[in-house]
Amino acid sequence: MWTKILEIDLTHKNFRILEEEELFHQAMGGTALATHLLERYADPAGDPLGPDNPVILAIGPFSNILPIATKTTALFKSPHTGELGETHAGGRLAMAIYNAGFGALVIRGASSDPVVLDIDENQVIFRSARALWGQSASATERILRARDWAQPGKKSILRIGPAGERLSTYACATVDTQRHFGRLGLGAVLGSKKLKALVIGGNRYQKITDKKRFKGLYDGIYEAVVSSGVMRKYHDLGTAGNILKLNQNLGLPTRNFNQPWFEGADKISGEVFGDRYLSRQIACAHCQCGCIHLATLREQFHEEHGFKTFQVSYDFELIYALGSNLSIDSPDDILRLLHKVEKEGWDAMSLGVTLAWATEAFLGGLIDTTQTNGIILHFGDADTYLKVLDQMARQTTDFYRDLEKGAAFCAARYGGRDFAITFGGNEGAGYMTGENTFTDWLMGPRHSHLDGAGYAIDLECLTTDLSLEEQVKKLVAETRFRMLLNSLVICLFARSVYQEEVILEGLNLLWRPCSSADLEIFNQETLQRKYTFKMKCGWQPNLIEVPEKLSRVITSTGKVDPESIKKRAALYWREVGL
Amino acid sequence: MMKKHLTVIARDQCIGCLSCMFACSRTWHEALTTSKAALKVRSYTGSEGNFSIRICKACLEPECVAACPTGALSQKENGALQLEAKECVSCKICVESCLIGGLAWDEEFSRPLPCFQCGACVRYCPNQVIAMTREETDNVD
Repeated sequence: MWTKILEIDLTHKNFRILEEEELFHQAMGGTALATHLLERYADPAGDPLGPDNPVILAIGPFSNILPIATKTTALFKSPHTGELGETHAGGRLAMAIYNAGFGALVIRGASSDPVVLDIDENQVIFRSARALWGQSASATERILRARDWAQPGKKSILRIGPAGERLSTYACATVDTQRHFGRLGLGAVLGSKKLKALVIGGNRYQKITDKKRFKGLYDGIYEAVVSSGVMRKYHDLGTAGNILKLNQNLGLPTRNFNQPWFEGADKISGEVFGDRYLSRQIACAHCQCGCIHLATLREQFHEEHGFKTFQVSYDFELIYALGSNLSIDSPDDILRLLHKVEKEGWDAMSLGVTLAWATEAFLGGLIDTTQTNGIILHFGDADTYLKVLDQMARQTTDFYRDLEKGAAFCAARYGGRDFAITFGGNEGAGYMTGENTFTDWLMGPRHSHLDGAGYAIDLECLTTDLSLEEQVKKLVAETRFRMLLNSLVICLFARSVYQEEVILEGLNLLWRPCSSADLEIFNQETLQRKYTFKMKCGWQPNLIEVPEKLSRVITSTGKVDPESIKKRAALYWREVGL
Repeated sequence: MMKKHLTVIARDQCIGCLSCMFACSRTWHEALTTSKAALKVRSYTGSEGNFSIRICKACLEPECVAACPTGALSQKENGALQLEAKECVSCKICVESCLIGGLAWDEEFSRPLPCFQCGACVRYCPNQVIAMTREETDNVD
């Protein structure tokens, strides 16, 4: 693994390369390394959209080298929650950062004018991006992909759409073909720095040191990925296959979490998308699974056989956010919304939950047509939601500007806090499975369903008798273990492939000698470091707020009791051990 | 002459994972990269889209070998190319002479990356895009 960090200063348009062997030896890579760097570079009290908020991109010891170590972690102070911002993305970025010879990038300062970073193994060129400012995330990639810049080999392109330029606090940053640093507003942080895009590549590489041992490790992982069947579902229907499963288990959020069952689920299932809309699956670099599902949507724009087609990626979370949670039961409509979201560069989940809040607020009389420019919001109306997205993109009223700041912000301004489905300021994901999920989102380091997979524990509780204490311990144990997975940095879809013995063999070959006990300490320290940063930002574990509405609805595991969640949160915090 | 050689049999099944390129670089250069691969997977725009795989098809009368001004590049009986690196003058004429783009270039050492027709790329392709075939094939898919 590489032990160099590329530090870029956008304010002064310069860069330096730091050799950090000791830090990589201690912090491995990915999320652990990035947390160390966040401590070094970020002011927890600082403005997330100010020049001093660093963006840290980190890869791990398996990146580019082993199958499905495809992710890059991004850490920053989130403009959406005001505390730890963490999000992961695939594509070719991890490979390209490796090829450029770096283990991490730190982007500091802010440019006065729009800029594109052109990075290879020897230099960073600061190119003016005035002409790119305002371009969609999709067009930006097309334009930059065609430039004949200096990067040898395969290059990766990270960019923001107009939503990031407008500083929408849930703007995402897009990587290559529709992969995203989706959550917590990395797009806005890049927008505040006037950093429209980053193009990176290079030709650096390392040699295999122990060929026989490496081949044994590699082939074992390869066969598990390709032949064992454990990853088949991700290639086949993809996560969209969860629509019907969750619906059957009363866990699919519908109409702003009003109910856990969507009457139109059969029409927007992974099976329907797979049978009728899927045009192909593609893969991140060095992932033999290929889980990126691209749908083709054909639309007639002229009566005389004038057609246009879009290719849009989809997965479970997107179908939930812009489908069931908005009561939209047409795949065509969901894809039309996603196409717009892709171009603007919003986080689809936060956007969907915010639109759902807005609809309920409108129906409840908290907002009216004077604020919406005459638009009447109601669930199930995709054409109206498309108009809303257009109004947001054009910032036609204060209300539409506010919608770009998320459900919690809007609820604070207009009312409706009880039905703003946010957890620690972040909008909920597509699981209405019960208290483990909600505890996960409230207490997890990044308020994400990917923190501890609480939904899986809820579903396990349907068939297994686990005490409340056992459930919480399981949740925290999973969250802790993911510190390791996210430091490596593997795609979490491959978590069943990367069992501890595989990880240890890989680390002993590619990082440094370590044992199972070493990893336990590593995971615990990493988790605690994250919480320490969060608390320095002002987050407090005892000040959690469960959206009141959730105590009135049914979930997979029955009714949710806010007092029980508070008890779980206290237990969770005890397990964290700070 | 019927030689066993690589053929792209299902370009449309390629998912762009680059596993073949990693395998080639690992096998022949012990290098953890795609940049030492004798084949290329490229994102391809235009009406057909998807990915384009450029491999050496072990031509019966290879243009690259004929074009080499020093004789550094030659072809073995089994169709595999071989390079006498000391004789290579880095003129890149071999790469330019291959109309189908089937000969890759080593940026680090400024010389071609000949394909040895070993089948490592076939072994590590998860979607059966490339195969070793005995048929004579005129077209790259």
